[in-house]
Amino acid sequence: MGRAVWPAAALSALLWLGGCTPGTPAARAAAPVPLRFALAQAPITLDPRYATDAVSSRIDRLLYRSLVRFDAAARPVPELAHWRELSPTRWRFRLGMRGRRFQDGERLTSADVRATYESILDPATGSPLRDTLVRVAGIRHIETPNPDTVVFVLAHPNALLPGYLTVGILPARLIAAGHHFDHAPVGSGPFAFVAWPEQNRLILRRRRDGQVFDFLTVRGPTVRVLKLLRGEVDMLQNNLPPELVRYLARRPGIRVERRPGTNVTYLGFNLRDPVTGRLAVRRAIAHAIDRRTIIRYMLGGAARPANSILPPGHWAGDPDLHGYAYDPALARRLLRAAGFGPGHPVHITYKTSSDPSSVRLATLIQYELGRVGIGVRVQSYDWGTFYGDIKAGRFQMYSLSWVGIKSPDIFRYAFYSKSIPPLGANRGHFDSPVADRLIDAAGASQNLAVKARDYRALQVYLLKELPYLPLWFEGQVFAARNDIRGYHLAPDGNYDGLETTRRVAAPAAAAGGRP
Amino acid sequence: MIGFLVRRILGAALVVGGVVILVFMLIHFTPGDPVQVMLGESATPADQAALRHALGLDRPLPVQLVAYFDNLAHLRLGTSLYSQQPIATILARRIPATAELAGAAALVAVLLAFPLGVIAAVHKDTGWDYGSMGFALLGVSIPNFWMGPLLILCFSVWLGWFPVSGREGFASLVLPAVTLGTAMAAILSRMVRSSLLEVLGEDYVRTARAKGLSERRVILHHGLRNALLPVITMLGLQLGTLLGGAVITELVFSWPGVGQLLIDAIHRRDYPVVQACVLLISVTYVVVNMLTDFVYAWVDPRVRAAGRGA
Repeated sequence: MGRAVWPAAALSALLWLGGCTPGTPAARAAAPVPLRFALAQAPITLDPRYATDAVSSRIDRLLYRSLVRFDAAARPVPELAHWRELSPTRWRFRLGMRGRRFQDGERLTSADVRATYESILDPATGSPLRDTLVRVAGIRHIETPNPDTVVFVLAHPNALLPGYLTVGILPARLIAAGHHFDHAPVGSGPFAFVAWPEQNRLILRRRRDGQVFDFLTVRGPTVRVLKLLRGEVDMLQNNLPPELVRYLARRPGIRVERRPGTNVTYLGFNLRDPVTGRLAVRRAIAHAIDRRTIIRYMLGGAARPANSILPPGHWAGDPDLHGYAYDPALARRLLRAAGFGPGHPVHITYKTSSDPSSVRLATLIQYELGRVGIGVRVQSYDWGTFYGDIKAGRFQMYSLSWVGIKSPDIFRYAFYSKSIPPLGANRGHFDSPVADRLIDAAGASQNLAVKARDYRALQVYLLKELPYLPLWFEGQVFAARNDIRGYHLAPDGNYDGLETTRRVAAPAAAAGGRP
Repeated sequence: MIGFLVRRILGAALVVGGVVILVFMLIHFTPGDPVQVMLGESATPADQAALRHALGLDRPLPVQLVAYFDNLAHLRLGTSLYSQQPIATILARRIPATAELAGAAALVAVLLAFPLGVIAAVHKDTGWDYGSMGFALLGVSIPNFWMGPLLILCFSVWLGWFPVSGREGFASLVLPAVTLGTAMAAILSRMVRSSLLEVLGEDYVRTARAKGLSERRVILHHGLRNALLPVITMLGLQLGTLLGGAVITELVFSWPGVGQLLIDAIHRRDYPVVQACVLLISVTYVVVNMLTDFVYAWVDPRVRAAGRGA
């Protein structure tokens, strides 16, 4: 081979390598124009029995239908089935007509519902949902008297059972065959799986009209925004710093929508710690943090102050709760009354993840607490280390968010004295007979109105005792090119709006452009 | 030559074996329980024990290590704790992307580094030299997380020549390859320059010039060829690093390679995936360096002779 041939061969190889990747320009030209939705994280699994992360759960909602879904007030409403409480421990679910056809053409029956839930209840499956369904929901076994009826038999009465039956239903015969739903999902949802050629690219097809959707994972928020401006993606949702949201809102050809959300950010305290275990210190912290200013400047106004982990619009939420006003002078007085001052200063270690916005929040809180005499040392760790420390109780104070809370059973999970990890998420070791009594009373009642009353009383008590300091409910943000229409933002950030999303003009007509 | 090859292969096998043991031990002594990762923090102790038994994690560590070696020998890398997918399948989807990017970056680096290095050496202490080395300094000084977005802004958003990110055909490969290749070219070009300067001062180069050979022939045939040895070593080391996954560049350009997979797995405490990725990176590094040694020995007979004498 002559010398001149080498560069040509290398270039050919490079072109060949480039051409071999999925989605070459030629292939794209032949395919229908997809709608491209940018994600900050790729879904981890498309098997709803294993999905615990937000993105997987949101994609799974598109692929599968569940027995029950939630309305805007987080009340369970029928999706595949209507239900009736036959007795406190027997619930009958009757499948309706809608959503009964799997992607492969088979009809969804009660046997599929039973097989799905039984596979989750089987310890060998290793589903992270098993514990909740067995211990909290109380499912003992499932009966299928006919192809349209499922009966759940419980080990103990649970008036909130329907709210736990939100797992996507899988075909029984594929479960029996050991099908890998994680990367080849078959559901009866509004979308059908097409391909997952790379971790960063998932392709779904809307079943009603064949519209193809590309879900592209783009980690960096700046790169995600640039792709939107360039027309390489058509829309994106959340995970943007406020400055980028403001920047996008000013760009021609781009539309930005916002709506209040339900995911709550909070400060958690270790109540066994000699400093954060003192109520006066926790109250001083609550009065020292200027949440409205943080929301306005750091979050760009895209949040609303929270006084509970349940949003005020939740059926068990309390819109009349009055939180702690920003009052640094009162915070100082509380600390002085508790014996803290120049001779005996307060020092707290604040743990957070290494996510830039979390670190930014920690720095702001460090500054605000410093102004009332509380010295804060911020320690940020990668997510795994941080979360491991929180679960193990190795913290004084930390910040985290609860995402997608629907059931008020969260109070039992997070604040009941017996829910210390690994039996729950009472990571701060909150141990209050009053809270336990209110949680037990709310849990025992079979009447939702009574339950709501008890839960509201509990939220008043929790706000007084401050095992958590609720900070704010994060807002939802959606940005799209002007030719994208019909998307409806959900308060919990799900992607259900894609069921009605459409392009109103040819992509060539859409604004390109230099930012 | 065969003895040299056998010694190198045996040495590499020992290194890989050591890496396997080290990775296995490190993962097992790192805080965090994979069973809790799989089942969630509220799973009952009985469920945790059942799953721990099913995964074989309740057996003594040496027994687990032997089982791990046996699985590796049969190319069974295990299953991801999160996605439940076989790790071999996950890696098989990532390796082509990483190899593609590494190969393209190496090509960019070579195409930039050799002309720059030769120009700088031949025109030592002139504007050409300072210009070339200034460019090299710039390339090595600008971190990839800055260079990447800069290239995106210029060539994707303003000029519209290339996609912003993703892996869709040749065009999407250009910017990540240039980002990675420029930093690599900076190091290589300095190496080419210093090595060539050293060689150009040798007696045989003076002899070649005295014979009346053209300067071009002297530089390319007598100078550059002999200056290649340290450059090949450096290229091998750099390529090994690139094949292990260029994490930052992959993140900036949403390039679905091994580096991004490893970072995700570390964040999620997906231990089997971390283990497989680290192993893959180590093996790749060892193999690439072994191949570099072979090339080195092939190019320079003195290396083979030294190997025999050792």
